[in-house]
Amino acid sequence: MKNESRRQFVKTMAAAGAGLLAAPLVPVQPAAANAIRERRDPEVGMLYDATKCIGCRACEVACKQANQKPTEYDAAGIWDAPKDLSAKTLTLVKLYKDETEHSFVKRQCMHCVDPACVSGCPTSAMIKQPNGAVTWDAKACVGCRYCQMGCPFNIPKYEFDSAYGRIVKCDLCSANGLLAQGCTACSQACPAGAILFGRQKGLLQIARQRIQANPGRYQEKIFGEFDSGGTGVIYLSGVSFDKLGFPDLPEYSAARISEGIQHTIYNNMIAPILIYFGLAFVAFRNIRMAHKQKEEPK
Amino acid sequence: MSHVDAKPLGGKIFTKPVILLLIGASVGIYFLTVRYAHGIGAVSNLSDYMPWGIWKVLNVIVGAALVCGGYACAFTVYLFNQGRYHRYVRPALLLSLLGYSFAGFSLFYDVGRYWGLFNFLIPKYWQGNSVLFEVGLCVMTYICVLTLEIAPAIIEKFLKGDGRLAQMLYMLYRLLDRFLFLIISFGILLPTMHQSGLGGLAVVMGQKISPLWQTPLISLHHLISCIAMGYGCVIVTELMISKDYQEKSHMAILSKLAKAMRTFMFVFLVLRLSEVLRTGAILQAFAADLDSLAFWTEMLLIGGGIYMARNADARMVPKNIFLGSCLTMAAGSLYRINVYIIGFHPAPNVSYFPSVPELSISLGMICLQLALFITIIKTFPIVAYERR
Repeated sequence: MKNESRRQFVKTMAAAGAGLLAAPLVPVQPAAANAIRERRDPEVGMLYDATKCIGCRACEVACKQANQKPTEYDAAGIWDAPKDLSAKTLTLVKLYKDETEHSFVKRQCMHCVDPACVSGCPTSAMIKQPNGAVTWDAKACVGCRYCQMGCPFNIPKYEFDSAYGRIVKCDLCSANGLLAQGCTACSQACPAGAILFGRQKGLLQIARQRIQANPGRYQEKIFGEFDSGGTGVIYLSGVSFDKLGFPDLPEYSAARISEGIQHTIYNNMIAPILIYFGLAFVAFRNIRMAHKQKEEPK
Repeated sequence: MSHVDAKPLGGKIFTKPVILLLIGASVGIYFLTVRYAHGIGAVSNLSDYMPWGIWKVLNVIVGAALVCGGYACAFTVYLFNQGRYHRYVRPALLLSLLGYSFAGFSLFYDVGRYWGLFNFLIPKYWQGNSVLFEVGLCVMTYICVLTLEIAPAIIEKFLKGDGRLAQMLYMLYRLLDRFLFLIISFGILLPTMHQSGLGGLAVVMGQKISPLWQTPLISLHHLISCIAMGYGCVIVTELMISKDYQEKSHMAILSKLAKAMRTFMFVFLVLRLSEVLRTGAILQAFAADLDSLAFWTEMLLIGGGIYMARNADARMVPKNIFLGSCLTMAAGSLYRINVYIIGFHPAPNVSYFPSVPELSISLGMICLQLALFITIIKTFPIVAYERR
């Protein structure tokens, strides 16, 4: 009897284990270039050309005004001098410099085509809008900060100094209404034409044309074309992207692996339900057997 | 559950250790009020680069794994039909219930927008792609299941007497006993889901976690190690609260549990090593940095736990299996801290060490939990005794 129930159990668990084990082996399709292109079609984004940027930081000022963000003063208390993106600073121009080359780089949310923050958020507070912007919903958010843990670019920020903190990030000027008018504060403010706003498809074409027309001026790579499944904000640069602080990412988003595993195991909840009934059956028999043994004194 | 002869340990409640634990708890509670008044930044070293610190990792992720005894016991007793382990079920379930409840409670000070936690229960906010959503829902349900599993022990205390209430309680008791198999099955399925999910959380963090720990198999690693930790927790609890182990027959049963613990830990070790060898991440273990130190410490702890419970003779010595269990629990805990804190590199030169208030809150909550556990086993029939 004991052996039989054990066999039953082994059978049940083998089915469960097979599902669990097979999950990671299910080929995770590195988001193919075609799929990314299709997804990009209806979406808008930005193209930042680091070789054109003059580092005037007009974009930072425009962003703070449009989104009503407070100043982060320098030590003397005169300038707005944020050192990094923060809950008060949604976009920032940084400088890379060594003996031979230098380059500015503007950082803000990349508005990924396949965002990890949206995939991870347990309560649908991070949303990928149909127009491509990744936005945050205050009513839905629990403040678990899983979006911060997941984001490969460390973009979402949390107001740690507030008792009722919010998650803060660039929303491509969705909330302030500029996006609806067809622009963003930073791209509008740029005097050097370094930030272009538009449909992602068109922006990619422009980026490729620039590289072709000016060989030697640009890196071969357009950052964000495929990185982490593609990003809505793409970058052209003269210096290599790792020097500008961009991580080396695969051509698919980590969300694909995570969701691939998740949806294999919990495919329509079939496996968990089957396992539950298997478990209930074995437990029922074992408990009844234990009762019987107790009633029959040895 | 009704087939165990258990009784309250009795004795004074406010003994010296309990008072010490309560003092620890009150320090934590003081800093909690600061956190609620001035925000998370006022008491912790958390930052935008390291948004998950010890509150989430130690109190929730490690905490839930350490109290897996209820899961491991239910699994052994009701599936492998090993009735002789029955006596461990109740203390293990109680620890699980307390551990999970405190893990749930920890979320209320760890998350920034705690009033929004109830969004987990509102279908319009559900997010099926999120591992954290799955874990959250599973843990909430599991706390309810644990309550039902432990309920007979609490009811037993009020069964004496023949008033109307006692009769109703008796009916409830019989009902619970009758449908125990349905509850137990949930008590096995749900931990399987959320313990693997607690590892699955790491997958979406991708290359931010060192390849020494990051792998698509990370859920499986968490699941296997949590079972070993659960057995370890049961053994340590039993050795600490009961003197029955001095009898050889009891020691023999405990040593069987130690054997199961060793087996799971061994499987965990093999899985871990084969994965770092397969991906080639093992090379990073020789980099002589904090990651490699953490990696080898973890391996040493795993190996130590396995060694202490290596064969039948070694397992018959209470000291050995006590030490082995402690090492196993430490190994599993360090593994989880490695994944989410030490091996987590969001950007170059980012470091995190918890602040004193942050630690006080973490430890204070653990103190409170232990004080409650001691009080409950003194008051309710949880610990089994031998009829002599």
